[in-house]
Order: sequence, then C-alpha cells, then structure tokens
Amino acid sequence: MGKYFKKKISLISFLFIPIVYFWDPNWLEFLGVQPYWPLFWLLPWSMIYGSFDGLIIGIFLGLILDSLSLDTSFTQIPGLLLCGIWFGKLNVSNNVFVGHFRFGLICSISSFFCGSLFFFQALIKYWSHDNIFLYLPSIKNIFAQVFITGLLAPLICSLLFRLFQKSKGRDKLISFIDK
Amino acid sequence: MLDIRRISTNRWWNKKKNWGLFIFLSFLFFVRISKGSLYKDFYYLISKPFWPGQYQREVLTKSVEQEFLIRLKQLEKDNKRLREILSLQRLSDSESISANVISRKTGSFWRQIILNKGSKDGVEIGSFVVGPGGLLGRVDNTSLFTSTVRLLTSPESKVGVWVERIQMHGLLVGSGNDYPKVIFYNKDIDIKVGDFVLSSPASTLLPPNIPIGIIQSVDEELKAKKTANILLLGKPQAIDWVQILKVDI
Repeated sequence: MGKYFKKKISLISFLFIPIVYFWDPNWLEFLGVQPYWPLFWLLPWSMIYGSFDGLIIGIFLGLILDSLSLDTSFTQIPGLLLCGIWFGKLNVSNNVFVGHFRFGLICSISSFFCGSLFFFQALIKYWSHDNIFLYLPSIKNIFAQVFITGLLAPLICSLLFRLFQKSKGRDKLISFIDK
Repeated sequence: MLDIRRISTNRWWNKKKNWGLFIFLSFLFFVRISKGSLYKDFYYLISKPFWPGQYQREVLTKSVEQEFLIRLKQLEKDNKRLREILSLQRLSDSESISANVISRKTGSFWRQIILNKGSKDGVEIGSFVVGPGGLLGRVDNTSLFTSTVRLLTSPESKVGVWVERIQMHGLLVGSGNDYPKVIFYNKDIDIKVGDFVLSSPASTLLPPNIPIGIIQSVDEELKAKKTANILLLGKPQAIDWVQILKVDI
C-alpha cells in the first residue's frame, strides 16, 4: 500500500488541492488574503512532466476550482492553463539557494498574472456600467496574494518537487504524452 | 488447417493508461456537474473534529450591541408606522437553522463561506444568512451536508437596501474588498457618515429592516449617482456560528 501511494503521490496530492482551497487557514494570510494554493502544486508538477502535461492539468485544476466557487461569470482556467505551459518550460537550478528563490519568484509572478486575469474579467463584465471603478480597491487583493504566495512558495514547492521527482520514475500512468 | 489468428492485445481498450485517463476524465466531469458537492461533503466529514466552538468575543460583542441598538430603534418606528400594513415578505414559520462556518474565503475575490448544514437539514437556495451584527449573505448553492453562502462583499452580490434616517433606497454592491458600496440613483439625497443601512422593504429577496452596516464615507464624483462605502456590522471573517432563515415570498 505504501509503495502504491509513493508511486501515485502526485495524483493523490492533486485530489487534495480543493480540500486545501476550502481549509484556507487564516493564520497563513496577509491583509486578509490567502496564498494562491493551486500554484504550489502546479509549478513542481509541470517542471517535471513538461508543458503539454502542465497545460492539461492546468485546465483540469481550473475546472475543479471553478466548480467550487460561486462566481459563475469568472473562471480561473486561462490563468492556470498559461501558467502550466510556462512552468513546463522552466529548468531546475543546480544551486539549492537559487532554486528556492526561483520557486518564490515564479510563484509571485504567476500569482500576479492569475489575479490580474481574474480582475480583468470583472472589469470586462462591468465595463458598460458606471460603477466599474467600484472594483479598483480590490487590486490590493492581487498584491497581497503575490506577497504571501511568493513567501510560502520556496518551502512548499521544493518539498513537492522532491516528492514528485521520486515518484516520477516509478509511475508511467500520469503523463499525458509518451516520452 | 485452421489457422486461428491470435487476437491482438494492442487495442486502445487493452491499455491501462487509457482506462486510467477515462476514469480521471469521468471524475472531473462528475465534479464539474455536481459543482464540487463531493469535495464539499468530504471536507465536511474531515473537518468535523476541528469545528470551532468559541466566539471571538470582542468583535462579536461589539457587533451584537450595534445590531441591537439599530434593531430597537427601527422596530419602535415600524411599530408605530406600519402596524396596520402587511409586510411584503414574511419570515417562514419554521425555525431558523443554526449552522457552523466550516470554510471561509473572505479575503480574496471569491467571497463565500461554507456552512455545515445542507439540503438534508432543510436549507434552501435563496435563504438568507445572518450572524452577530446583521446580514452576511444568501445561500447560493447547497449539497447534501453543506451550503455555500455568497457574502455581501462578493462582486456578484447585489442587494436592495435603504437608509433608515432618510428612507431612501439604494443598491448594495460588493466590490471584492471588505467595504461594499451602496449606489443611490439620486445625486441630491442627504446621506451622512454614520447613517444606518438596512435591507430594503422593497426588496424581493430579503425581509425588510435587517441591519447591514453603517455608512463610512460618501463619494460624490459620479455624475448622476452617489455612492457610499459601508462598514458591515456582520464580520464573516470572525463569525463561527450563523442563522439560516427562509423567506416566504
């Protein structure tokens, strides 16, 4: 049983992303904003399995997270999809310190990108209304999320990266293309 | 002689990988169709040992005191003025349902809380949710064990309200941060900082005169409208217990 879990650790951890999304511990927030949890999983996974797999899993992740939120007019799929493609093209650094820093920087940039995409969706939806400027104060959500995501990324992403790397060789089922 | 051809085992349905992908896609389809109800119910089960039992006393006590003050004042006025008039909405005769907040997203763009009572407990979509302090939001989605509440601060939340002092109606719009805005479609109305905002008697979604918030600042830059920032009395980031109430429309 233990060997099975070790082989499928990346898939099993994928199923727990919505659970963490619900949990949202308030002791891990900055200015009332939580980190963008899906990126912590998507980055190490895409770096190991590549751009195409990152694209597919980004779509799946976005589909699940959209199902869990009430805002039916807005979607997280485009942000996660593009992040999956970008993460798949990144190389792993040999220097441990630089590698950790890169995780933080990449997650910060992608959190900013995903948050901005979501914010632009709201702006586009309410473009024809006079009250478009009502949504400008929520820009603070984006920057707070960038900060807290970048702060936690080196720890979480490096841990997940090591776990996924160990399980990769043992399992052939997860990759969407044959290598 | 008969030469029995060996059936090929290399067809797509013989590959384990394809079946794995099919099962995974079916799972995703199910999650999408059910709007994540499987995850919400699973989260209900695993979070049960960790449900909070204690209020964050200071914040809640202050909100409750403000709420009672506003309610008392408004009830005295209504009692005199509206005794002979029937209300447009009535509260349902069945009791309110107490629920625990098991998940909250109050800091990002997705402003919602998840409660530990669902369709099996009689929660219906459209029921409104109040906590210490006043109105928090409305139930937007239910699963068997849980219900998801759209908060007043959500960008998709729009609720009819009125200012009790001048009896003028407006629209409370969430803006994705902790201070939703009220839009008054009349530039000449006399609203002031400190005015109480309650649910509108003309609203078809809520019962009348539920405390919502206090006007914190007034913005007069728009041409034909006036907007005001509202400080909500109900604090979803601190509340652990709420009441779910049904409305007979």
